[in-house]
Parts: sequence; structure tokens; C-alpha cells
Amino acid sequence: MRKEYREYHFDRMVQSIIHFASLSYDGTHKEGFGMFRYAPRFRDAIQTILMTGEPGVLLLKMIDTYLIEILTAHENGKKVALCTFNFSPGVLKPLDVVPICLEPVTTLGVAMWLRGLGEYLNYCCEVGFTETSCSAQRGALGAYLAGLGVRPDFVLCNSIGVCDTNATAFNFAAEYLELPFYQLNAPPTLVDERARTYHRHDFRGLISFVEEQTGKNLDCDLLREVIVETDKQDEIMCEIEDLMRLTPSPVPGIFNLFMYSAKYIYGGSRVATEIMESMLKVSKHNAAQGRAGTTSGKEEARAFSVYVDHYSAQLRPWAWFDEKNISHLGCMMNGFWPVHAPYATGDLKEGTYTMDPTNEETMLDSLADQMSRMPMVKQIRGPYDDPHQWLTDTVASIKTYKPTFCLYTGTIGCRNTWGSIKILARDTEKMGIPTLILFGDAFDHRITSWESMRDRIDEFLTVRRILE
Amino acid sequence: MLKGFQDIATSLSNRFVDQWKREGKQVVGFTCSYVPEEIISAAGLLPFRMRGIGATSTSIADTYFGPVICSFPKCILQLAGEGAYDFLDGVILTPGCDSIRRLDECWRKAVEDSRGTFPGFHVYYGVPHKVTQYSLEWFVEETKILLESIEEYFGITVASEDLRDAIRVFNRSRTLLKRLEELRSREHVPITGADATAVIISANAMPRDLYNRILEDLIDELDQSKDGIHGRKRLLLSGSANDDIDLVRLIESSGGMVVADTLCFGSRSYSDLAEEDGDPLLSIAKRYLSHTMCPRMFGYYKQRLAFMKERIQQANVQGVILQNIRFCDMHGSENSLFERDLEAMGIPCLRIEREYGPLVEEGRIKMRIDAFMEGLNAG
Repeated sequence: MRKEYREYHFDRMVQSIIHFASLSYDGTHKEGFGMFRYAPRFRDAIQTILMTGEPGVLLLKMIDTYLIEILTAHENGKKVALCTFNFSPGVLKPLDVVPICLEPVTTLGVAMWLRGLGEYLNYCCEVGFTETSCSAQRGALGAYLAGLGVRPDFVLCNSIGVCDTNATAFNFAAEYLELPFYQLNAPPTLVDERARTYHRHDFRGLISFVEEQTGKNLDCDLLREVIVETDKQDEIMCEIEDLMRLTPSPVPGIFNLFMYSAKYIYGGSRVATEIMESMLKVSKHNAAQGRAGTTSGKEEARAFSVYVDHYSAQLRPWAWFDEKNISHLGCMMNGFWPVHAPYATGDLKEGTYTMDPTNEETMLDSLADQMSRMPMVKQIRGPYDDPHQWLTDTVASIKTYKPTFCLYTGTIGCRNTWGSIKILARDTEKMGIPTLILFGDAFDHRITSWESMRDRIDEFLTVRRILE
Repeated sequence: MLKGFQDIATSLSNRFVDQWKREGKQVVGFTCSYVPEEIISAAGLLPFRMRGIGATSTSIADTYFGPVICSFPKCILQLAGEGAYDFLDGVILTPGCDSIRRLDECWRKAVEDSRGTFPGFHVYYGVPHKVTQYSLEWFVEETKILLESIEEYFGITVASEDLRDAIRVFNRSRTLLKRLEELRSREHVPITGADATAVIISANAMPRDLYNRILEDLIDELDQSKDGIHGRKRLLLSGSANDDIDLVRLIESSGGMVVADTLCFGSRSYSDLAEEDGDPLLSIAKRYLSHTMCPRMFGYYKQRLAFMKERIQQANVQGVILQNIRFCDMHGSENSLFERDLEAMGIPCLRIEREYGPLVEEGRIKMRIDAFMEGLNAG
């Protein structure tokens, strides 16, 4: 890692960008947008977020609050856990633990910085990662391994049995930084009694582990608050997703990113609910006017990403979709599978979860069920075409949102989706949905530039006559 | 005797499998050292560990797998697509690692377009990634389901005594292979690393009782051997799955001698015995879940390091070669931890990334091994 990178605290740098961006909207519109010409490195990303109005401002304020919580955790007597993105953070609140959700923090860096997180990605390789490992972890983790971020107290991983590359990164971090490690392990099935029992045992193991690390017991009152708030969030999210079924979709494409970011960072907390309420308000307003969620109010095509979104390139993919009047209908990262989800119909209901605040046991079971259905944990645990896994969930989303085309973009580290995307794309094509596999890396623009990916999508849309 | 083992190790099928099939008996393939061969064997079937040896391209595999996948399952899929695995009557696939577990759907889809077949009997065997009471209970149940599905598909009944007999036979192999390991630890090593690898690999490719008999004779012969190789740097080979004896030959051609390994096709395949008393299913599940661990078992690095240190001490190892197949992040990343910790103990390490089978870059690997050996010899 270059010397100059070692001089700055990573968390603090990300937080200060987000903080000042979140303030920009507090002044007049002219002041806010006038500021952008002084911030060429962050302009595209911040502008894309703030163009959405109140939801974007609330999102930036939420991220600012979150990063401040990380930065001040130790001085406030709280422990810090390094977590996977697909780890419902609500469970840590009643345990008085602040999570560093690694992949969302990487996303912040790659989305906000003109040159992405190349130095941090490379640093992981310098200390021993394979260069083929997943960039979603390697980005921010490079900073933590180099001691340029808040030092976590322990590591919690919810991707064992789901993604080896992800699990390897967390396991490596634990060994390298000499931190205690707990893994939630997903068996290959989901809805049978054996899998349910396994998950519930595993989840209680997690609670015991965290209690041991913090010396604090689970606060049941706070747990109930989390359960109730999660339920509320899920209902709002489902309503927004329901609106996405309309043609045109009144939901701005970037709201999908906001939704899962809010869930990953503050699932079960009021601050995330406020963003969702705001997004719902905007979407309903658009729906009432018969407008699409795009800036022009028009919809010329509908896109669904079968895996993740493309986060590098300062959120320009969302701006480009918007410019092209393409409604972006989300990706696998939006698939949380609460019971009222519009895509959870018929037999697929079995794969959902509910929040039951009756007593401690039902609350823990609810969270264990939720945790076992987090994006990727649910879909990538077994054969791609087994019930409740990648193919069935993709088909459910296609039937629900009726995209005119599908996209695959992932990371070079993703053995699972790269292992089956060619056959999944064959299945979606058989359904009549043109599907484009993009070779790129969602967190590392050095693999393929956004401009090159954009041109490929553009060509695909022309060749397949999706956009005339 | 050694020639027989070399023949088995360097070809996909072999005369023992051919003979077995001629007798009208059936063969079940498996992809990972976490599959309990005792279950297959107790049912009167031949357990056969699948390999990619002999693949000369990955053209079929590349049609289904994406570009950033380990070449080991790609070579297996290539052979399956070409029909080389048509002798299998069944297959057990596991979440050994992400690349190998994707073989399940890729193989199923590949046979729709290629001339190979997918065995009528196939099971996705869910091996947990941690050792706890509840994961063991899951695994016992999973193993019971596996046994029942074998019984149902092949129309066989497996009694507890059959399982106990199988445990005894497989334990016998493990004990004999441990004995071979001790012989390799001698100052005058009676067998090269390449030949020893061939011997170990053969265990998963022929009837086990017959294997035990031949191995017993070989061990007696090696034990009494007055000759032996000495004066060469003693090496331990670790990392990703390796069933390619030519890789070991390549290492040994640089002047070293592989006297130990921690590979899943090597010492990890025979470490730890299953209990011979009590409930045989529980005993099998216990042995396979908690036997010397693959990095797929996350959170157990220290145990793996301890195992490697024990092997290093026992075999008087002077240098360690830590290899991983490209895109094998589990071994690749863990190798760097091993390198850090072993070198801190004064044990020189070489970390290399390679391809499997037809893609292997012999010249590059040889150059790096030569350089490592030069360093060892100078030190």
C-alpha cells in the first residue's frame, strides 16, 4: 500500500465525505448543487443519491450516523463486530454491539471514490489473499487489516456453506487480526424441519458467543423493539416492491439499492424505517400520477439483475438506466423473503419468515429464520435449481416484476454464481427474457470499466431490440 | 507392485474397476474426502473418488462453468461430458467447496448436450462446515438418508454388521497408510513421494480389501528394504487437491524428496480412525466430520497448523511447498497464513499457484521449485 494511503483513517475519510454530502441538502437547492463542482471526485455518486430528494438525504444521514457509531463505539463502551452484509444487524442492538458491515462499507468506498478502493484491494493480496478472492470484502478489509479503520473486537460470518470466498475472507481476518470468530453455517436445504432446527441452534450459539465477548446479556425489551421495527420495515418494503409490479414502475431504480442498504446497515432500527417510509411516499406519488420512477417519468424497458448491482463507477449505472428510461427492478440483494413479499407466492411462501414478538424464544426463532433467508444465504446454499434457491427465486422475481431483460454482473471471486450463471441464463432465455452476462467486477472497476460494460449493455439492448 | 499403483494413479479407470464391472457389480463416484466410503462399500458397491486426470482440454466444461472456476471440477466435468465416467452407476456430490459443488448442476445440464451420461443414482450430500453437537446430529441424519437412498436405489439392505465390517476394512487401510507414512519419515526414505502418492490415491480407486492386501505386502517389502533415498531436502506438500503424481515428480526432479503431505488426496484421507464399537452410523459420521480438516471447515486454522507442525516434526521436514489451484481461495489464503507462521518457526516455505491437469504450467512451476530448492540447499 502506498505511503500516502497509510496516512489517512479509512472510516473517518468515508464518514467525512458522507457527512458533508448529507449536509449539502440542508441549505438551498442552489447551494447544495453548487457545491458539487467543488467535489469532482464524489460528485456523480452524491448527485445520483440526492437527485431522489428526501429519501437520498435520509440515506446519507443514516450512513453518516452509522459511520459515527462505528468511529465512537469504543469510546462509548461498545464492542465492534466485523460482519457479513447478509447479517441482520438488528440482533446486535440488544447485545449493545456495533456492526461493521464489511461489504456495505466497501460499497461506500467504491461508489464514492473516483479511483475506487484499488489500494485496499491490493493490500489484502499483499498480506496473503488470493488475487482471485472476492472484492466485496477485500475493499474495506484492506483498510482494517492495515490498521486504518476501527479495530473490530470479533468476527461474525453468515456465509458459511453459502460462499467459501466470503467465508475465507472473514476467517482470514479473524486469524490475521487474532480475533474471536463465529460462523453461522447454512445447510443445503432451507424449509425442512432439520434445516430449521439447525439454523435455530446455530443462531442461539451466536447469541451465546456475542454475550461471552461483551459480557452483556441480550436485552429482551430491545429485542422486541427490533422485532416490531423489522416487521414494520418489511411491510413497507413489500408495499414498495408491490408498486414495482406496475407498468410503468413508479419506483426509482436506485430505491432498491437504498432498501437493501438500509436493511443491511440498520435492519430493525427506526432510522431505516424512515427511509423506507419516504421512498414509499415518493413511489406512491409517482404511481398516482401514472409516472415511472425515472426522472423523465417514462419507462422504455425494465431491468432485473439476477445477482448483485454494479457499485463501482460512482453509481453511474443507476444514472445511466435513468437516462435511458429503464426501470431498474432490483437484484438478488433485494430478496429478503418476508412473508408478505410480492414474489413469495404459492409454494414459495414456505421460504418466507415472520416476526413473532410473543416471547424471547419466538423472537430468537424469528431472527434465526430471517438470518437464514438473507440475500445469498437463501439462494446459494445448494444446487441452483433446488426449491427456494437461485433459479426459483429469479423466476419468482421475473414473474413478479416482468422485466424486459436480465443482467448478470458479479465479482471475480464469486465461484457460485459464475459456476451456474451460464445455465441460469439459459433458463431465463428459455422463459423469453433476454439475459446478458457481463464480465466485470461490482467492486473493482479495474477488471472492466463501467464505460465498457455500459457499451455492452447498450449493444445488447439494441441487438435484442429491447430499446429501439 | 508399485507399477500397479502408478498405473491406477495415472489413469482414470483401471483393471480393478473393469474387473468389478465385468462381475456385474456397481460403482459409485464421489468428489470429496468428506464422503464416507464405508457406506458405499457396505452396500456392496465400489466407492470411486472422482478425478480429472487425463483430461486434455476443458472445452465442454467451459460451456457450463464460468471463467473463474477451479480447473479440478472443470476437468472432471470435461471427462464426464466425454463419457469417461459412464462406468459410474451413482455419484455423491458434496459442498466440499464452491467450485466442486457447482459440478452438480453443470454435470446435469452438460449431459443434455454432450455424449456423457449422468448416473441414475445421485445424491447431494450436505456436509456441515463446523463441528458441534447439532452439526454432528445433522450429519448422522444426512448419512442415514444417504444410506437409505442407496438401499432403495440399488435394492440392497445394509445391516449394522455390514457397516461395522466396512469400518474395520477402512480402518485397516488407514492404519497401513499410517505405517507407510512412518516409513517415509525414516532418514533413508524407502519410497519416493510420487510413488507414495500413487499408493495413497489407489485406495479410492479399487476394492478396499484387495487394496489392503497389496498394501500390506508393499509395506513389508519397503520395511525390509536396505536401500533408501537420503541426502535430499525433505519436503512437505500442502494445499489444494492434488492427485497428479507428475506434480510430485516435478518437485522431486528438482532434487527434493516429498516425505509428507497434508492433502485431501494424501494424508488427510486416512487420518483418524472410526470407532469400531457402538452405533456404526454415529461412528462414521463422527470420523468424517471431525477428521483432520480441510479449510472448508472455517475457524479451525490453528488445528490445521498443529497438524502440519506435527507432520513436519514427524517426517523431519526441511521445507514446505504450499500450492493452490487457481481460484481456490480457501487454500490460497490459508497458505499465506501457514507461510507466515511456519517461516516464523524457521521452516522455509514456497507458495505457488497452479492449474490442474491439462492446464498445468510445468515450466513456470519447475523454475520456482528449482529456485526454492537452491535456497534450501544454500541454507
